[in-house]
Amino acid sequence: MKQSLPARLVLYASVILTCAILVFPIYWLVITALSQPDQLRQLPPKFWPDEPRWGVFAKILAERPIFLWLGNSALAALGAVSISMVVSVLAGYSLSRFRVRGGESLGLFILTAKMLPATLLVIPLFGIFRMTGLIGSMWSIILAHATLIIPFTTWMLKGYFDTIPRELEQAAMVDGCSPLGALFRVILPVSAPGLAATALYGFVLSWSDYAYARTFLTNVQDNWTANLGITTMKGEYISNWSDISAASILVALPILAVYLFLERYLVGGLTAGSDK
Amino acid sequence: MAAIVIDRVRKSYGALTVLKDFSLDIADGEFVVLVGPSGCGKSTMLKILAGLEAASAGTIRIGGRDVTDLAPGDRDIAMVFQNYALYPHLTVASNMGFGLKMRGTPADEIARRVGEAARILDVEHLLERRPRQLSGGQRQRVALGRAIVREPQAFLMDEPLSNLDAKLRVHMRAEIGALHQRLGVTTIYVTHDQIEAMTMANRIVIIKDGEIQQIADPETMFERPANQFVAGFIGSPGMNFLTARAEQGVAQLFGTSVPVPPGADGAITVGLRPEHIEAGDGPVTFVARPNLVESLGSEKYIYFAAPEDNRPPGFLTRSEEDRRGDRLIARLINSGPIRIGEPVTLSFDPARLHVFDPASGRAIR
Repeated sequence: MKQSLPARLVLYASVILTCAILVFPIYWLVITALSQPDQLRQLPPKFWPDEPRWGVFAKILAERPIFLWLGNSALAALGAVSISMVVSVLAGYSLSRFRVRGGESLGLFILTAKMLPATLLVIPLFGIFRMTGLIGSMWSIILAHATLIIPFTTWMLKGYFDTIPRELEQAAMVDGCSPLGALFRVILPVSAPGLAATALYGFVLSWSDYAYARTFLTNVQDNWTANLGITTMKGEYISNWSDISAASILVALPILAVYLFLERYLVGGLTAGSDK
Repeated sequence: MAAIVIDRVRKSYGALTVLKDFSLDIADGEFVVLVGPSGCGKSTMLKILAGLEAASAGTIRIGGRDVTDLAPGDRDIAMVFQNYALYPHLTVASNMGFGLKMRGTPADEIARRVGEAARILDVEHLLERRPRQLSGGQRQRVALGRAIVREPQAFLMDEPLSNLDAKLRVHMRAEIGALHQRLGVTTIYVTHDQIEAMTMANRIVIIKDGEIQQIADPETMFERPANQFVAGFIGSPGMNFLTARAEQGVAQLFGTSVPVPPGADGAITVGLRPEHIEAGDGPVTFVARPNLVESLGSEKYIYFAAPEDNRPPGFLTRSEEDRRGDRLIARLINSGPIRIGEPVTLSFDPARLHVFDPASGRAIR
């Protein structure tokens, strides 16, 4: 259906406005990083610095252990996502395919867990990790992030598995697969876009965490994640917002890279052609 | 190839029983069609045969071997699904060879058998494509190919033609028939389409509410239906049903005394197929005023009111409109021009009538 000109103008204007709202904070982060610290609060504001400080990134990398923090963040995210994917693939598939006594309640319980704020779990998790001697170790943050990610990823994957025709695994079973074999040989390869989107979501959840890292890792500087490290750049009386912004950009880059790497899997349509 | 014995199979979901003591002996190489309306249990029976659903009671033997508790992959059967269920991440060749690979067949043997099946089904040029690059008909052929490369003891087909357009369906119907002739593999085919059942089957099994209504070859099913449901289900357009009273071997129909079987006494339901009504005079002649005429070129469907005395309380298999009980259908060939509202002389041979007990629906002969 062809839209009228006013309708199209309204549509384009809405899209441009939405994009502007989404992009503006990133733009502001960039110009904050590139501006001289004393130019940040001037009025009227400058929308591009007179002399951009391109060297700020090299300065941050030299002054702060950014790579160590990024490595820790990546380790926490990869560990948490790996555990979460194993658990939630099996849980999501079970919730999608098998009707068991109490299965619905179990699904709702997982859904409820998803609704709880992460901060609610900080104290009990702290207690558990202190008892088990995990406080300060990377395992504490990996397991804590997994508790955060699993409810989300389980429901995301359940939703994805629901869209895959049951006949696919039935065909695989008639062809000689066990139920688990059908899952690994047919359902998971077909679910690649869903798995990629879910893993990316879990990765972002872990990467953006601050509360758990602050609670469990503060005393062990070598295990600081990027977000925790950046907050230490904030002074008690004076904060160099340009440096903090530059560090924030460096920390955001890996997420962008992961997204670009997974993008081809995120495109749906792999199941096209399996059925009518 | 193998004979299949289904012995008193029952399937219940809680209090709901969808298959009631289903028993059927299928001979080696036979083509049996399970047919019935939606929800009658025919697909459930096929899934139980495949091992995809567990029977609540009863046993299944394939080739003399009790397979009731075996996993689907251990039953040596192949299944063609309604939506084809091709593996979207695999090529056509890999789809067809998947079952053999699962059984540890050597790669060169898989290639040989896939090549042979592809040649039979004329999909050799598609072997490196993925399912999404195929048309509906090609997907259907690949699904059939995946079944035949396995060289199983039996084929199970669950409404495999229902997603194809009308023309392709007729074509594939003939191809499946030819494939069965060529391979001679025992085939159990599920459909709700009575034309597929009539054209393809050696024997038809009509199911309603989880119970077998009749098992017979297509001709017997058409000529000697066991009950009113079968009579109404087989044939297109469906059989006309009228009510009458039988006394001493005679009933009044269209104002004429017609002979009925000696077992008929009191209220009866009389069935008359639309194609058994003819234009012009005959053994029983009556005048009808058509309220609808559908011309199909070589034939016409004439809709007209049933006589007041013979109007049935309702039809079993007709559309809601027809269930109002005052419409009969005649299928006339070479009848000349017929117009709505104008009287037309029609007739039938009382030997063509079917008589049913209105309470049980059973045929009276």
